[in-house]
Amino acid sequence: MAQYSIVNPQEIHEKKIKDIIDKKQIWNLPMVEKDADVETVLSILTSRDHVWVVEERGSKKLCGLITESDILRLIAPPRLPKYVFGKKYSISLQYGTARKASDIMHKQLITCSPDDDVGNVLARMVNAMIRRCPVVENGEIVGEITVHYILQILLGKR
Amino acid sequence: MLLEIGIALLLAKLLGFLFDKLKQPAVIGEILTGIVVGPFIAGELFGMNYISSVTEGLGEMGIILLLFISGLEIGVDEIKAAGKKGMLTSLFDVSIAFLFGVIAGHVLGYDIRTSIAIGNIMVATSVGITVRTLMEMNALHSKVGELILTVAVLDDVLGIIVLSITLGTGEISVLLLKILIFFLIFLGFVIAIKKMKGVKIGIPRFVLTSAISFAFIFSAVAVDLGLAAVTGAFFAGLIFSNLPQRRRIDEFVRQMGEIFFIPLFFIWVGASFDFNALGNMGNLVLLFIPMALVGKIVGCSAGAKICGFKARDALAVGVGMMPRMEVALIVVSIEMSMGTFNATLAHQVLAATILLVIISSIITPPLLKIVYREEGE
Repeated sequence: MAQYSIVNPQEIHEKKIKDIIDKKQIWNLPMVEKDADVETVLSILTSRDHVWVVEERGSKKLCGLITESDILRLIAPPRLPKYVFGKKYSISLQYGTARKASDIMHKQLITCSPDDDVGNVLARMVNAMIRRCPVVENGEIVGEITVHYILQILLGKR
Repeated sequence: MLLEIGIALLLAKLLGFLFDKLKQPAVIGEILTGIVVGPFIAGELFGMNYISSVTEGLGEMGIILLLFISGLEIGVDEIKAAGKKGMLTSLFDVSIAFLFGVIAGHVLGYDIRTSIAIGNIMVATSVGITVRTLMEMNALHSKVGELILTVAVLDDVLGIIVLSITLGTGEISVLLLKILIFFLIFLGFVIAIKKMKGVKIGIPRFVLTSAISFAFIFSAVAVDLGLAAVTGAFFAGLIFSNLPQRRRIDEFVRQMGEIFFIPLFFIWVGASFDFNALGNMGNLVLLFIPMALVGKIVGCSAGAKICGFKARDALAVGVGMMPRMEVALIVVSIEMSMGTFNATLAHQVLAATILLVIISSIITPPLLKIVYREEGE
């Protein structure tokens, strides 16, 4: 017999984000300040698959996100597209232009609030092709919805 | 026409790849494809007929998408982050490069409208070649590299603005009013988009459709106000750069543009290349290309020097800014479609610009390597 049983996804859809967010989650969120050097970011990402970028140390004011696929792009041999505009393609680890967290982070994020329905947030994540969504209240990060977290709820582990 | 488009796209891909391998911009491969499938080679040999209103129209869509991508990737944030040195150097860069073009036109005996058009062509540097060269030299992170990048980004923006101002006709006060109206509409949308960030619309892919449609609506508004369509497309890109879906829009429009529409524009440019124009354009080429190259060196070096760069570093900034590519060709095609040049001159200027693109991208890397000195040496 299977160790876990799957909760009906519809039950999860109808809940609010604040109902499924673990209050302790905030203490375990991967976070780094935007002025942190790239070495700090990389060392966090050796054990996490993303890191939230906040305004300054100790602050929870969210200003960006760095994911493992961003880092893959930084490590792979730099490749310029056919038509280049802006500085986006010149951010590189090899050429020393990726120095701080703010150089490599995504600045505009798709977020959700604690009062959103879980179903809507998941639909938004599918639609926007993102795998993690920060829960934001008054500009501050209070939690995150990730595929791992949702799976734990689906299997009744939370 | 269908066969021509099919063959041209495939050939452009292959030649583009070949040029990329030769460390030259793929765009030159696309232009060469145009020359091959155009009336003088494939037209003569196989009776192929690439130039038509359809291919021209598809190319125009390509320009709109290209400038939309440009606005989207540069983004409001990058312009804000330019800093004083970048701004000052770009102002010198753009005004002197423009002036050199106008002087070249004047010396060649063209009227003021034509001379201004030549000035417009000379304004915008191609960031792509510059980045590639700086990477090869491992100088992307140096002070010189950083300034070159910032200025190259800003002169795309300033180039579009200069083009818009100089394309306008009629009373200067009316023109300024129209530009003001355009900017107010732009600012209105920037604010509206910022406010709407949190609004959830349940229609799948609504943001992608609205991005594309806004690129076209804004282009139409720009044309209605007497500005260039590309100005509208560029500013539409800037507006959408404020959205969290920016990257997704970028990937989507890039795929659509890079695979189909944009190559068709550069192929159309190549196909419009008239071999007959080559015979009679000695003076134009002799003045046009050196003025384009020297204009950038003088403008950027002066700007960089005033910003506190050492003479040699300032010179390196100027040399690094010489390459012209996408925007120069777009400006020529716009000026051609506006009827700025007479038929003979149009083909000569187009040929001269294609030569400028090729020559500048060939000579910039070795020249920059000679001039550039590593920091601390």
